Formats: sequence, C-alpha cells, structure tokens
Amino acid sequence: MEEILYFLQQVINGLTIGSTYALIAIGYTMVYGIIGMINFAHGEIYMIGTYVTFIVISALGMLGIANPFFLMGAALLVAVLVSCAYGFAVERVAYRPVRGSKRLIALISAIGMSIFLQNYMRLAQGSRDMAISSLIPGGWEFGIESFAVNLSYMQVIIFGVTLGCMLLLSTFISRSRLGRACRACSQDAGMARLLGINTDMIISMTFVIGAALAAVAGLLLGMYYGVVNPYIGFLAGLKAFTAAVLGGIGSIPGAMLGGLLLGVAEALTGGYLSTEYKDVVAFGLLILILLFRPSGILGKPEVEKI
Amino acid sequence: MMRRSLLVLGIAAAISTQAQADITIAMAGPVTGPVAQYGDMQFTGAEMAIERINAAGGVNGEMLKGVKYDDACDPKQAVAVANQIVNDGVQYVVGHLCSSATQPASDIYAEEGVMMITAASTSPTITEQGYELVFRTIGLDSLQGPVAGRYIANTIQPKHMAIIHDKQQYGEGIATGVRETVKEAGIDVVLFEGITAGDKDFSALISKLKKENVDFVYYGGYHPELGLLLRQSRELGFDAPFMGPEGVGNPDISKIAGQASEGLYVTLPPAFENDPKNADLVEAFKAKQQDPSGPFVMPAYTAVELIADGIKGADSTDPEDVAEYLKANSFDTPIGKVEYDEKGDLKDFSFVVYNWHADGTKSEAAQ
Repeated sequence: MEEILYFLQQVINGLTIGSTYALIAIGYTMVYGIIGMINFAHGEIYMIGTYVTFIVISALGMLGIANPFFLMGAALLVAVLVSCAYGFAVERVAYRPVRGSKRLIALISAIGMSIFLQNYMRLAQGSRDMAISSLIPGGWEFGIESFAVNLSYMQVIIFGVTLGCMLLLSTFISRSRLGRACRACSQDAGMARLLGINTDMIISMTFVIGAALAAVAGLLLGMYYGVVNPYIGFLAGLKAFTAAVLGGIGSIPGAMLGGLLLGVAEALTGGYLSTEYKDVVAFGLLILILLFRPSGILGKPEVEKI
Repeated sequence: MMRRSLLVLGIAAAISTQAQADITIAMAGPVTGPVAQYGDMQFTGAEMAIERINAAGGVNGEMLKGVKYDDACDPKQAVAVANQIVNDGVQYVVGHLCSSATQPASDIYAEEGVMMITAASTSPTITEQGYELVFRTIGLDSLQGPVAGRYIANTIQPKHMAIIHDKQQYGEGIATGVRETVKEAGIDVVLFEGITAGDKDFSALISKLKKENVDFVYYGGYHPELGLLLRQSRELGFDAPFMGPEGVGNPDISKIAGQASEGLYVTLPPAFENDPKNADLVEAFKAKQQDPSGPFVMPAYTAVELIADGIKGADSTDPEDVAEYLKANSFDTPIGKVEYDEKGDLKDFSFVVYNWHADGTKSEAAQ
C-alpha cells in the first residue's frame, strides 16, 4: 500500500512539473511548426512573465489587497500583456530581419536575444533571488499512517490551467479562421502568401501566443516555487525544448505529451533511483526516442517538398 | 571662476590619489549572480580595511587601492578575471569567494607570482596544491564538517538522517565531511544524494525523504537551493529539521523560505562582531550603515590587514617576501590570533552552531 501511494505521489509531482514544461514547450513547437526555427529566447520570456507576476503581486499586496484569486487574475492579465509585447518585439527585432537568410544566422540571432534579455533583466531587477510568500497554501492529504500523499491546491491549479490552455489552443488552431491560416503557413508559407494570407501577421501572432503561454507558465511556477532570478529561463527553456522534441517538434499535442512524459520520468528517477540521475534519464529518454522515432512521438516525418 | 577652481581641485585630487595609490589590491568575488550577497560581505570588509589603513597613513607611506573584479562565482569567469588581474599588474588578491572559482584562479596566481588570500573559500584542496602564495582567513570544510557532524551526533541524535549536497566542490566536500563524522558516531545515514544547483523542483526528493522517515537533513551547498528545499518540504508536509554550512547563513534564506527557515541549524564562523576587541571597528561599519555580522566581513577585513602587515613587516612589496613573513609570524586581528601553517591555512579557527530565525537573525544553538 505504501509503495502504491509513494508511486502516486511521485506521479503527481511529475505531472505538475511536466505541465509547466508543456506550457513552455508549446512556444517552441509553434514557432518551429511555422517558420522552422528554434526561438531560443523563449525561456527568457517565461522568466520575464515570472518577474511581472512578482511585481504585480507585491504591488497589489502593498495596497492591501489579499484575495489570492484577484491577485492571481490581475497578475495573469498584466503578465500576459507584457510578455506578449516582448514576444512581438523579439520577433520584430531579432527574427524578421533575418528570416530569409540561412538557418544558422537566425539561430545565432535567437541566442543573442536570449543573452540580451537575461542580462537586461539582471541589470533592471538585480541578480539576487526574489521571493514572494505562498498565495494559496495548503492542499489535500490522504493515505495511511506510514505515508500520506500530498496534493497541494497549487498543483491542481497548475494541472488544470495547463489542460485548459491546451484545449483552448487546440480548438483555436483547428476551428478558427486564424488557426486555419496558421496551419496553411505551416504547410507552405509561400503558397499561403500567394493565396492572400498575411504571413507576417500570422508569424507575429505565433510568437505572441507562445509568449502568452510562457507568461502563464511563469505565473504558475512563480506562485508555486515562490522565487525568481534572471537565470531561471535557461534551464526551463532547455527542459521545455527537450519536451517539444520528445513529443515531436511542430506538434502541439506532442508538446503536451512530451512535457508530461519528461516531468514524470524526472520525478520517478528522483524517487526511485537518485536525484543525481534525473537529467541523465530525461535526456537518455530523448536520445532513445530520437533513435527509434527521429521525428518525436507524435511528430510527422518530414516530407521532402519538390 | 568658482567652477574652474573646483575643476582644478578635482584634477589635482585625481592626480594625487593616482600618484599615491601604489599598492593595488584586487577584490575578486561575485558582484553578480545568485550568491552576490556573499561578495558584498567580502567587499564591505575589504574596503573598510583599505579605508582605515589609508587613514592611518597607508603602508610604508604608500596608499592602498581596492579594485573589484566580478567572477560571478563561476569557475570559467574566475579564470578570465584572474588573467585580467595579472594583466593589470596587480600583485595582491583578496578572494575569490566560491571554492570552485578560487581553485582555478589560484593556479593562475601561482604561475604569475600573485598573492591570494581568500576570506571565504573553505574547500581543503585549495591549499593542498603546494602553492606558496595562497592563504586564507577562514577555516576549512575539514574543520566545519566535523563541527556539524559532532553536533548532530551528540545533541540532535537523529535516527534516520539524510545528507544532500549540490554536487559542487564546496557543498559536496562539506557534506562528505559530515557523513564521515556522523558515521563514526554510529548515526544511520539513509540517504546521501546530490541535486543540481539552480534546480527549482525538489518534490521528488522530498517525497523520498518522507517515505524513508528521515528525521534530520544536512544540506551542503548555498542558500538559494536550501531555501526552496525548506519551503517545499513544509508545503509537502515534511517537518524534519535541516542544517547547513555557512553558505546558507544569510538573511536571503529567510526571504526565500519565510517561516520555513525558522530553527534551521547553521555552522558559521564565530560572531566576531560581538568580540569587545572589535567594538571600535563595528562602530565604524555601523557609521557607514554597513552590517559587520556577515560571516565573511571580518575575514575579508583581516585579509587586507594581513597584506598590509606583511608588506610592512617584510619591508618589501614582493609577494614572496610577504608570504614568508606571514608564515613566520603571528598577528593579532579582528578574527583573533592568526598563525599560518606551511600550506597557508590558519592554525586555529573555530565554527559555531547557530539557530537561524525567520526574521533573518541568528542565535547560538543549545548544546
């Protein structure tokens, strides 16, 4: 019994962290799906989202507002708006001018943007960890005498919000006019342009949606862990990118699946082997999947266009 | 007219300080990065010493000048900084701070004949390389680990203990020291595991601690990770007490962990600021609104003082003469009597166990 509960606890831990990997992974996968480049500055957008969350919550807290749901809603609104502005600006400044050139140039531009944003936040906010107290503490506890499974309210919120965002996004892509335009761009951007789709606008929109989801992840993780520093974007971005590749880069359900799988794999390794091997297993899994399914779990094999 | 004379005065002042600033001391440590507050402690102490020595007439008539170098506690950047210090022609370094940064930097200083006194790096391997010009004004992990280990074995006496570290030179070194001491005392260490510095999620590890019925945790590393570890532990219903080395003992851990930092055990250098001999110096810090209580403030102050005393005593600015003089004599400093062994380690340095409080203060732990 204890073993089952322990397993359950580790799966819950893994799903929580996996959800946020998934949210960030969407940004990578969407941009890749449409323009075929990897937006390495995406992790930094997540970091900026977390900072904005902290600033809004602290500012409203100072005004004496304590209702956690109001705080969360306000922070969500501001964080999404600010991050969207960053996502839009990053695309305009760093990617659009080099879009026609070789892939390597776009890649270097992306890495440069990432370094710039990281250091810019460091100068603006200082390099020390900032912390806020838990807004929604507590949770449910169930189990037996020797081991109790702990499911915190925040974990449920993280999982729920992620699932909601995914459903919303999938519906948007598959049902709306803009979503159809997105899919058209992803299949053949040149042809889409000939047919009267404003591809520049669609690409901007992709970056903005990715940034909005990164801001949601920033808000959720910021509230869950309660700390932020200018360097959190790098590791989070790396993990989310791995999740995107694992699930099949370019595929939105793939990013979700990849994120959850990565999170659970990490938690189970930490729980049964050793925390030291967490990353070894996570990246080993990536290598294995890429060996046997080079396009990821849900990715479609690339068809050579003639 | 007024403005012009001010300008002339300013130029004159600039020229005169330049002319007098004959001995440059490089202060190397993290100005930026996640552990920058320890760098601040070191800079505060070193700058105060430079100021007071200059006010008292300098060293053999020459003024000291402190220049900050930022290694961000990163081994790669520490190498770049060390090269820069050498290129700038500096012969004396107070620093670096993190052991993993100090180690590679010390290789460069040894090659180039630069003297280095670290006020914070506690890893034993730094002074085991046989370099003549490496000193420290702080104790070693090999001293600190046993102090923590003995306290755990004698006072806390846990039944199932866990030791966690951050896989870095400092953290893992000290964690290993603690493990050896408690094992000798017959304490059962059920878990000895590393985490990745910079990681944010420790829920898998904490669930494991809960399952193993761990009743005491020692953490070797710095405060950002321990802060999160504490915070998440309490949220996940894991209530065992934690203990850490001096790298976790600063008010930021209370900011990160909040209430969860209450009662944390920390081994720190003794509170030099409470020594009546240092009352005058503590006043000077307070007059500048600086905090003398950080663990590395007084050691950094002492490091500068030792360089000055060494230059005076040896009557030479050659680091080799100064090193020889430091090893041959004993000094009365704010951190007590300083005597060096052949390796450049203090012959006598003690660590004390404190209880950390949620408001960022500390009190001596019950024995």
